[in-house]
Amino acid sequence: MAAKTIGLDQGDKAEARVFLAGLCVFLALMLGFPTLANLWYSFSDVSFQNLASTDFVGLRHYADAVANPRMWTALGFSVRFALLTTAIEVGIGLVLVFVLHPLLTKRPWLTGILMLPMMVSPALMGVMYRLILNEFTGLVPGYLELVGISMNFLGRANVYATLVAIEVLQWTPFAFLILLTARQGVAYELEEAAAVDGATGLRLFLHVILPIMLPAIAIVAFIRFIDGFRVFDHIFVLTGGGPGTQTTSISIHIYKLFFVQNRLGEAVALSVMLLVAALALLYFGLKLVVRRTAR
Amino acid sequence: MKRSGILAACAAIVGGVLTATSAFADITILAWPGGPAETALRKVVDSYNDTVGKEAGSKANLLYFSRDNFFDKMLSDSAAGSKEFDVMLTATYNIGKYAPFMTPIDELATDAVKTTFPKAALDSQSYEGHLYGIPTDLSLHFLYYRKDLIDQLLSDDAWKAKYREISEENLGTAMDPKAPADWTWDDYIATALFFTKSINPDSPVRYGTVLQLKNLLFNIMVWQGTVQSYGGDWRDADGNITVNSDAYRKGLEIYKKLVDLEATPGDSNSYEYAEANGAFGTGQVAFMVQWSAAYAELIDPKQYPAVEGKFDITHEPAGPEGPKTHFHSLGLGLSKNSDKQDEAKKFLAYLASEPAITMYAREGGQPPLNEDLIKQVSAGRPDILAQGEQAAKYGMVMNGGTSAQALDIYTVMAENFTGYWNDALDIDTAIGNVETAMKKAFGKE
Repeated sequence: MAAKTIGLDQGDKAEARVFLAGLCVFLALMLGFPTLANLWYSFSDVSFQNLASTDFVGLRHYADAVANPRMWTALGFSVRFALLTTAIEVGIGLVLVFVLHPLLTKRPWLTGILMLPMMVSPALMGVMYRLILNEFTGLVPGYLELVGISMNFLGRANVYATLVAIEVLQWTPFAFLILLTARQGVAYELEEAAAVDGATGLRLFLHVILPIMLPAIAIVAFIRFIDGFRVFDHIFVLTGGGPGTQTTSISIHIYKLFFVQNRLGEAVALSVMLLVAALALLYFGLKLVVRRTAR
Repeated sequence: MKRSGILAACAAIVGGVLTATSAFADITILAWPGGPAETALRKVVDSYNDTVGKEAGSKANLLYFSRDNFFDKMLSDSAAGSKEFDVMLTATYNIGKYAPFMTPIDELATDAVKTTFPKAALDSQSYEGHLYGIPTDLSLHFLYYRKDLIDQLLSDDAWKAKYREISEENLGTAMDPKAPADWTWDDYIATALFFTKSINPDSPVRYGTVLQLKNLLFNIMVWQGTVQSYGGDWRDADGNITVNSDAYRKGLEIYKKLVDLEATPGDSNSYEYAEANGAFGTGQVAFMVQWSAAYAELIDPKQYPAVEGKFDITHEPAGPEGPKTHFHSLGLGLSKNSDKQDEAKKFLAYLASEPAITMYAREGGQPPLNEDLIKQVSAGRPDILAQGEQAAKYGMVMNGGTSAQALDIYTVMAENFTGYWNDALDIDTAIGNVETAMKKAFGKE
């Protein structure tokens, strides 16, 4: 019955196809062509010298990518970095939503100010922190020194924590925004009914609001995980992936394979494998969210 | 009559167009952005456009990418067959990589050009026997040191006694301070420790030196003067990989000691050229090994008032083989993708001429010129004199340093050696990884 209500008749379907055709052509050109080209390159002996005339080499680049120990180190870094930053961003985002929700209901314009960090390009953010955290010229070490604290934020002992903190500072507003929208979507009547039944404070949050927000939490965690996993800009600007390979993410590893080591095939093959992994994760993630929402 | 008039007009227009297309076209030069090099090249290009270019009907225009990942962008454009630029940047360490996208310019190496530039300079822009670029800027490393501090160290008895005490405690020998031009690497370490506040609380500066330890290939070039001074090289005469050697171990250990004893800032692992200049320029570092290009920046009192008139330069410290320095040149060459080969060659020929390249030097550039020309242009530029002298006496290019694999090797070294300096790897693993990568790159597996 519900399907009938939202279904389209033949005329509407034809119209929908016409309207969608432009988007499909655009996507085919802008995404489809590069994807197919990359797919071919991952199976060919591509280099900067022969981009237009490559030969098929089978699965060689895929085998090289998997056999490269540096790939596993970079993958490990990316997974750890993504898990940690996602957990912190979603956690802080949730806390902020519950603390600031009443205030932002009355003064919604404040949300714009809280969004500012994510408006800055990550590479620029890296450059900014390169200046701000510098031991000699940086504001933060300068002020800390005034109160007798000497700290090297980018020193070998603190570099990982600093990179995580920068990522969290920049992207917590994104998690906050999505979660705030989900919180605002919780019907007031529902909260009122729960309150009448005696659920207030933490119980109201745990048993009423949080379950309703779970799909939004899952989506924001998924998006932040993917973003954290492919982190590149600010790490590259701040540490270049070092010291050693201590902060080399999978994106930095691919970049170096491609541009510095001229191992284009291996870099593209690795990108294809990661794309497939991301699509699989997306498929199962969405399936989970849709199933929960349908319930 | 009217009809023949129209036909005549059409013929004139067509003729005009044909004449215009047969004349020289304008060209675009992709060059290194910012600093004295950009200022100097703009002057030379203006001069070309007013003289030779004007006569030929060709105007040269400049195009600048940002410095960040400059070579990656140029590589992508070249590989894609871009015609956006006709003249492109060249560098000693990546000529082999870019050679497939460039046209050799051997015919521009005339007798006059060979007189203007030393042979080593032209060689540094050559690959497999062909000239690919006109050298415009020489890059090597100086030891920048605070004259005021070193003068006091050499004359103050209390400081000398403390110096002996610190060197004995940390290096096992009571050493006497020396003038920087006489330093060995042990003197470098001992003096760095003496001027480090955490070791000598009476030091007037916070750190003895500043090392550039970011995982960046250019930082390996700064460091490898240590290895060269101990007789180290990438390969021997037969092409065998020689990084697993005492010279490499010694070079790595010099930096490791300075890091472990905190004689360099704690966040040096994120430092490159700009950060090192910043640290030295605040007046909180006693000396550093840095690119020669930094001289023009550090003498600017507006940028670095704390060291105004207080520093001097000399060569890098010596090992058993004497002082050594990595050196390379930047230059301008001809893009193979360009449709304007003749026009581009005309500009490059002008650039290689004595009047143009000496103008480039006078305007702040650092071209490698022969001795007489250097003397002509060196008024107020002690760095350019020192450069010429040091390149000739101490300059060294690693065996394989201009090959197509050079950048890859520097990258692997940066990854592994910065890992060692920061305790992520032990010395044997770091050297072993580099050796394996080099054997693979040079087909010596």
